[in-house]
Formats: sequence, structure tokens, C-alpha cells
Amino acid sequence: MEGLADPDLAAALVAGSQDALAELYDRYAPLAYGVALRVLGDPARAEDAVQEAFLKIWNGASTFDARRGSLRTWLLTAVRNRSIDYLRGRAAHERQEQELVPELVEAGARSDPWRQVSLSLERTAVREALTSIPAEQRQAVELAFFGGYTHREIADMTRVPLSTVKGRMRLALEKLSSYLQGRGLVDV
Amino acid sequence: MSEHEELEASVAAWVLGAVDTDEAELMRVHIDACAICREAAVRLRRAAGALPLAADDVAPPARLRERVLTAAAASRGSLATSAPRRNEPRRPVRMTPRATTRARLPIYAAAAAILLALVVGAVAGDLIGRDSVRPPTSTVARFAVVGNQELAGARATVIDLKSDGVVLVDFNGLPALRSGKVYEVWLITSDGRADPAAVFVPDSNGSKVVLVNRSLEGYSLMAVTREAGPAGSDAPTEQPQMSGTIT
Ligand SMILES: [Zn+2]
Repeated sequence: MEGLADPDLAAALVAGSQDALAELYDRYAPLAYGVALRVLGDPARAEDAVQEAFLKIWNGASTFDARRGSLRTWLLTAVRNRSIDYLRGRAAHERQEQELVPELVEAGARSDPWRQVSLSLERTAVREALTSIPAEQRQAVELAFFGGYTHREIADMTRVPLSTVKGRMRLALEKLSSYLQGRGLVDV
Repeated sequence: MSEHEELEASVAAWVLGAVDTDEAELMRVHIDACAICREAAVRLRRAAGALPLAADDVAPPARLRERVLTAAAASRGSLATSAPRRNEPRRPVRMTPRATTRARLPIYAAAAAILLALVVGAVAGDLIGRDSVRPPTSTVARFAVVGNQELAGARATVIDLKSDGVVLVDFNGLPALRSGKVYEVWLITSDGRADPAAVFVPDSNGSKVVLVNRSLEGYSLMAVTREAGPAGSDAPTEQPQMSGTIT
């Protein structure tokens, strides 16, 4: 299981392999728990969010499509969304907006050593990109992504027009996108 | 202003999950039909998908691994053996927030405040009076089961994954059993009927994640006794050594 690329790992999950789930857990649990803890700040709730996200992948593995993104991205997006649901006190079925499944083709189809390297490159790039953009753009994105606030709420709390918040989010994501593309970390 | 002009500005917010519910639906419909916005959404989604990497790795508690694997085995099992359960009507939504989740609200507020302080700095004060946290309707309920008498040091957290039809009981601090004995978990109704729910022997650290393969609906208490192994008893033969109120 250890060297399996995402599509093979997903196939093993669909087949009901507990080993595959254990492998997925061992690969990504610290990342997943880190995201949940950052959103929730409460270890017990963070554990619940991580557990639900892994179950979601486990029960939905048959819908996995490597062209649409990696297992890692799917998992982490699920962790983030469940964590925000907890934070906002809403049940998963109330979530109306689309799941943030990005069409991020990266480590998925590659071998295990590359996955590690790719993950660390991508993490470095994301952090560099976020520190390189203006603070108010970073703040708008982080309040939305890790804080679960809507653009309207962010406009209220930062006392700027809604259109300004929308613009900041757009600029921040465009810069992050070109930063990742410039390092060959996403396919164009 | 055309619909496109109006909505294009919100594509990034939409990708971040930061638009209101009504607007999200408008966006979804528009993006299906508008090539320009769709192209932008795809590009920005790739970027948003990398945002979790801005969080630090944190090693989860070791027992979370066992919880995940146990719940997975159970939820797949329930899909395979009782697929029609998915079609059963959802349980009625309780009108009052559960005690445990209500108790957690201040923690949410505190966590949100800390987050804000980290990312917003000076404007953090604005959030504190914000009152948009709705009553929790989580699909996961948690409650504690605590020991008494000889099991005074024992404790369990019950995690009811309602959407997956799985209940996990995460035991800690259980004393070793005398030879031939097992711990038995009981579900007790408000009129005092005790139904056997699970039988187990803890590991050498006094820990165990136990799966209860039935709904807690209609029960008011969970309790634990020591019974003759390996199968346990049909009815409790001693006073409960651990108990907790089902919330
Ligand atoms: Zn458009």
C-alpha cells in the first residue's frame, strides 16, 4: 500500500481494503488534523471532523476521479468543510455551496517519493505566496477559508465595502494560482 | 448590470465557500452556463485547494486512527448489509440544542476569537459581539460515560455518527478483568429496560474503541457492567460500574 499512487489507492478503498484506509490515514492524518484544529481550535471537535472526512472518502471512493484532483485535496477539502460546518453549527446536509473539489492535478499519479517532495514544495509555495501578498488580501482569504465567514461578514467586520472584499479574494487567489503555476505545481 | 458582470466579481468568494446560500445557487447556475466564469472558477479552485497546506501539521491523538478504521469497517458493513437504511426517513431534528453542543458554543466563540486575533489583529474586537452562530445541528453527538465504585478511574467518550449510523465508544482507564470476565455495554430505556449492546475486553492499557451497531434512539442511558465471558449476559448481573446520559 505504501507506494500506491492515488488512483490505485482509491481502487483499493472502493474494494473495501482497510489497509488502504490505514495508508491514507498514515499519509494525511497530521495534515488533516492540523487543518481541523486551525479552524476549530478544539481538539475533540477537530477529531470528529477528521473522522467524518475520512469516512466520507471511504464511502465515496468510487466517485474518485484523479483528473479532478488528488485524494489529498479531496480529503483536506472535506476536513475544512466539515470543520466550518461545526464552527457555524450547521449539519453537513445544509451545506448548499459546492464542495471545493479543485481540479488540482499534482502528486496524484506519481510515485511515493515524489508525493513527499511535491507536498513539501507545494506547502512552501503556498506559504511564500500568502506572505508575499498584501495583508488585507491574505486576511480576506483566511477569514473565509479557515474562519468560515462569508464575504458580507468579512466586509462588516473589516469595515470595507463588499466589492473591496470580493476584489481582495480574487487578487489573492489569482496570485496564489500563478505562484503555484510558476513552480509547476499545478497543470495549466 | 448584466448577470455576468454582477456575478463574475464573486467567483473567488464562491470558490472559497464564502458566499451566502442564495448567492451560491445563483453562482452555480451561472457558472454552468458562462464559459468565462467557469474558466476562472476552475483556475481559482486549484489555488483554493492548496490553502489547507497553510495550516501546520499536527499529530492527532493515536487513538483517532483506531476510531477511523473501526467506524469505516462498521459503516461499510452497514451499507452492504442494510442498504435500504439510506432510504429511511431521517430522524426528526431535535428542537433544542444538545447540552454538550451548547456547552461547546463558548469554545467556538473563543476559537473564532483567537483565529481572528491572529489574522485580523486590530479589528478582532468586532467579532466578539457577533451573534450569527446558529444552534448546532451537528450530525455527530458526543457524550461521556464515567465510572464509579471499582471503575472510578474509567471514562469513555461516546461518538454517535448519526449520518453513518455508527456509534463508537472510546474507553480509557479500565481496570484489567478477572479471568473469564468481559465488560458489557448496555443501552437502557427510560422505563429501565436494559438491552445488551456490546461485549469487550480492553487492551493492556485499559483502552478500547467499541462499536455499538445500533441506533441510540429511544434510549436514555448507556451503562457498563462486568459479566461472564465470552458472550456476556442477557441482563445485567451487577449495578452499573459506568454510566452516562445519552444526549
Ligand atoms: Zn460569467
